[in-house]
Amino acid sequence: MSSLELYPQDEKLPRGEHVAFNLYMITALLLFVVMMLLGLTMRMTQADWTPVQAAMFYKVMTMHGAGMVGTMSLASTAVMWFFLRKYVSLHLWAFMSNYVLFMLGALCIIWAVFVGDFASAWTFLYPLPVHSMGLWSNGAAALFMVGYLLIGVGMLLFYLDAAAAIIHRFGNLGRGLGLQWLFGGEIDPNHPKAVVASTMVIIANSLGILAGAVVLVMCLINAYDPEVALNALVVKNLIYWFGHMIINATIYMGVIAVYELLPRYTGKPYGVSRPFLWSWAASTLFVIIVFPHHLLMDYAEPRWMLVMGQIISYAAGFPVFLVTAYGVLTNIHHSGLRWTMPSMLAVLALFGWAAGIVPAIIDGTIGVNRVMHNTQWVPGHFHFYLLLGVLPMVLTLLYHVVGSRRRAPVNSGTDRAGLLLYVVGGISFCMVFLYAGHMSVARRFSTHLPEWLPYDQAGSIAAMVLILGMLVFATRIIVGLLKAPIDADPAHPAG
Amino acid sequence: MSTAERQRLAPAFAVALFVALLLPPVRAWLESRMSLQMLVQIPLLITVGWLLSAALPPRLGEGIARWNRHGISSLVLASLAGMFWMLPRSLDAAIGEPWMAVAKFASVPLLIGLPLGLGWPHMGFVVRGVFLLELTATFFRLGWLYLVSPIRLCNNYLLDDQQRAGEAMLVIGSLLLAGVAIKLLWGRFDST
Repeated sequence: MSSLELYPQDEKLPRGEHVAFNLYMITALLLFVVMMLLGLTMRMTQADWTPVQAAMFYKVMTMHGAGMVGTMSLASTAVMWFFLRKYVSLHLWAFMSNYVLFMLGALCIIWAVFVGDFASAWTFLYPLPVHSMGLWSNGAAALFMVGYLLIGVGMLLFYLDAAAAIIHRFGNLGRGLGLQWLFGGEIDPNHPKAVVASTMVIIANSLGILAGAVVLVMCLINAYDPEVALNALVVKNLIYWFGHMIINATIYMGVIAVYELLPRYTGKPYGVSRPFLWSWAASTLFVIIVFPHHLLMDYAEPRWMLVMGQIISYAAGFPVFLVTAYGVLTNIHHSGLRWTMPSMLAVLALFGWAAGIVPAIIDGTIGVNRVMHNTQWVPGHFHFYLLLGVLPMVLTLLYHVVGSRRRAPVNSGTDRAGLLLYVVGGISFCMVFLYAGHMSVARRFSTHLPEWLPYDQAGSIAAMVLILGMLVFATRIIVGLLKAPIDADPAHPAG
Repeated sequence: MSTAERQRLAPAFAVALFVALLLPPVRAWLESRMSLQMLVQIPLLITVGWLLSAALPPRLGEGIARWNRHGISSLVLASLAGMFWMLPRSLDAAIGEPWMAVAKFASVPLLIGLPLGLGWPHMGFVVRGVFLLELTATFFRLGWLYLVSPIRLCNNYLLDDQQRAGEAMLVIGSLLLAGVAIKLLWGRFDST
């Protein structure tokens, strides 16, 4: 069971780890701000408030999508690493290799988009990357895909190191996941939730990376040998198998921060239970096979896969979410929770996760999907889930770490004002997307009909408010992370 | 049979297997189809090299190990040689050109099997993981490629044979993936 001490000794970062953690998180915060500004540019273009050309809009859209998925993954990986290292022996070289390969991959993607003019969205759906009608070269498309490959290799190295460490401590991944207690036996109350969640992510994401490694290389072969024509539907299945798991895993890595930190602010233990283990075991399977819900509009998809996509859509998110929501609410109930920045962000994250699931499940229903999937309903769902779910989980840890450097939780008026801006802006921004989707406003269009402009304008204003909140968070956290801990040895200042 | 006994018998088994693979009827049969050459003959030649690693004198083995930390040199050498023998052109030439046949029977055991046999015990979990995942991905990629390629990749084999080889590679990739997943989830590990 995780400690109830607010700032336990085993969580302190030695110098090397401290530098690595700061690198990850400061990079992620800066990227989040830049990607949000790109998102704002898109909304303002749709609102007819900026003179951005269509070609540039799609480049920005590609960069925003790839950048946000990558950055969410980078930041939530750091969350997983931060807590998992307390229970198993992780190697810093693997964590840093992931960072270096991520940065190299990001450079490839930035170059492909802004120098090579690549603009076929973060999903690079075949055959669009190789049919640019002169807008970008094959080389740019290839560079974009090589960027993804580099990021995937980095993630794989980190997961393999984490898998080795879990196996070394617990025997195998099944025992890390707690499968031995599903049908009976006395559950070890000290079995860490961080290990259960990390094991699930390692299993699911490694399979996703394998699918990505196959499809990316096949697309690269096709780019240089067009005679090797690929089945577009198979390519799409593999892309979504890998893409869905990469982005879905971010919440399963991020939620570790809620599991580990919330009990410290409520002062109540939050142990592992059989329903908890069952929910994670079920979600491990479901998250691997849920991806066909992205293909409900593809009439050529095998019928059984569509049916599976719908059924698993209903089932995939629920087990872990219900068990987590119930666990967190009972943990908060009658606890005298200290409402500081980390605890408020943890509760916000749970709300964002809960509310973000609802539009996803609605869209995962075949009858609705046929009408809604190409509308702004879908960005409404995933922005809700990411902006108000995953990102607050990352911010929970970051505010906690900043507080740990001063030995007191952060709770200043500036930070609370930032949170207010973030919540108001974030909810408004997502609700505008959802409402526009409800009104059949198409997604991924650079130019909107005059009837759609009010939604775009409202969305732009909400995005500005949200970004103001994020700027407050980013500034305060970066300054906090760069400050030496108050009990640091002056002879060895932390990086 | 104990591990020591298996190690003692391994070189003899390697020689016997190598001689069996050289027998003209066996060779002719294994080279009659692309799938047999790629997925039976070459893996058996790799096995010959792997088994031979047990025959190396301990001092030579220790000397090589100094240049083979974590088995990475082995992996690089085996991968480069493996890439060459994955080329359809190489497979083709190994049937039509005697000197290429000699190269195949010498290089596959000595440059793929032997290095892997020597390096595998030194490889940690991460290196083995990267190797197995890349091997699985390669089976899927090549299987897919052989299935969709509109042209014959080898002069010696027909398109349907090529497609059968592709299907077999997809099956092998799936079995490999399932095996690794079962081992990771429920298997026993001596050390990681």
